Amino acid sequence: MAEDLVLDTAIRDWVLIPLSVVMVLIGVLRYFVSKLMRSYQVPDAKIVKEGQVIVRARNLRSGANFIPSKAFRARRVYFSNEENGLLFVPKGQAQNAQAQMFSDPNMAMDMMKKNLSMIIPQTLTFAWVNFFFSGFVAAKIPFPLTQRFRSMLQNGIDLSTVDVSYVSSRSWYFLNLFGLRGLFSLILGEENAMDDTQRMMQMSGFGFDPTKSLSAEKDSLDIVQHEWALPKFEQRAEAVLRKLVS
Amino acid sequence: MAGGSEKKSSEDANDLQTFNAENLQSNMKVIYYSRTFLSIIGGVIAGILGFTGLTGFIFYFLIMAITSIGLIAKAKFSVHSYFDSWNRIILDGFFGGLMSFVLFWTFAYDIVHIF
Repeated sequence: MAEDLVLDTAIRDWVLIPLSVVMVLIGVLRYFVSKLMRSYQVPDAKIVKEGQVIVRARNLRSGANFIPSKAFRARRVYFSNEENGLLFVPKGQAQNAQAQMFSDPNMAMDMMKKNLSMIIPQTLTFAWVNFFFSGFVAAKIPFPLTQRFRSMLQNGIDLSTVDVSYVSSRSWYFLNLFGLRGLFSLILGEENAMDDTQRMMQMSGFGFDPTKSLSAEKDSLDIVQHEWALPKFEQRAEAVLRKLVS
Repeated sequence: MAGGSEKKSSEDANDLQTFNAENLQSNMKVIYYSRTFLSIIGGVIAGILGFTGLTGFIFYFLIMAITSIGLIAKAKFSVHSYFDSWNRIILDGFFGGLMSFVLFWTFAYDIVHIF
C-alpha cells in the first residue's frame, strides 16, 4: 500500500553504519574513562561502621527463625534499645550527617563527575547528528506507527506525504541509544553498560543511606515475629532424606 | 548454564525460603545475558527475512518463549531450585531485549531490503 522508496546506498554507507560505530566506540571510551577516573576515596570510618551495623541487623532479621526466641530477643534489644542501642539515632544527629554528606566536597565532586561523563557525550553526539545528518530520510523502520509520531521521528523531512516509517537520522540516533545498552552489557561485561538512569538513582540514594536506613532497619526489626523453625526441622529432614533414598 | 547454584529451595511444609543470594544473582545475570544475546540475533534474523509490522513482534515473542523454554530445560525443569519464582525465568529482561531487538531488526531490514 505504501510505495517502497529506494534509498541511496550512500546513505547506508555514510550514515547508518558510521553512526552506530561511533556510538559503540563512545560507549567503550566512556567505560574506560570512567574506570580511569574512579578516584579512590578514603572511606569514612563512621559510615563504614554504620553500614556494617545495618548489615548485621539485616542478617539477624533474615536468620531470625533459626535461633531460639530468647536469643533472638536479646539480640533485638541490643540493636534497638532506647539508650544505647546501635540502631537508635537521636533526631538531631540524623539531620547533621545528611547535611554533612552533601557539603562534603569530595562526594559532591564525584557525583558531578559521574553525571557529566554521562551527559556530555550524549549531548555532543546529538548535536553532531543534528548538524551533519539532518534533512533526509535515513532509515525505514519495519513496523508502522501512527501519524502522531510523525513530528517526533521525521523532524528533518518536510514532506507530509512520506510514510511515517521513513525516519530521519535523529530517530536512528535514539534507537541506537536504547538498543545498544544490551550490546554494551554483553561486550563490557557485568552490566557496566549505559545504565545511566540506574546509576543516577544509585548516586542520589547513597547520600541518604546511613541515616534514614538506620531507623528503617530498626523499624523492620521491631516488626519481625519470631517463629522458631527448629521443631519442624525433623519433619523436613525426614522428607529430604526420603526423597534422596527413594 | 544456570550457574552452579547450590541453594536451599523453599519447602512446602513450612514456608522457609532460604536462598544463597550470590548464586541467585548470578543466575539472574545468566538469564539477562542469554535474553539479550538472543534478542540481538533474533533481530538480525527478522530483518533479513523481511518481517514487517506485527509479524516481527510475534517473532520477538517467539524468540523470548524459546529462550524461556531453553532456560527451563537447562534448569532441568526444577525451577524452584534455581530461582525464587516462576516470573523471573519467564518475564525478566523482556523489555530490555525489546529495544535491542528493534534496533537490530531495523538495521538488518534496511541493509537488506531498502538499500
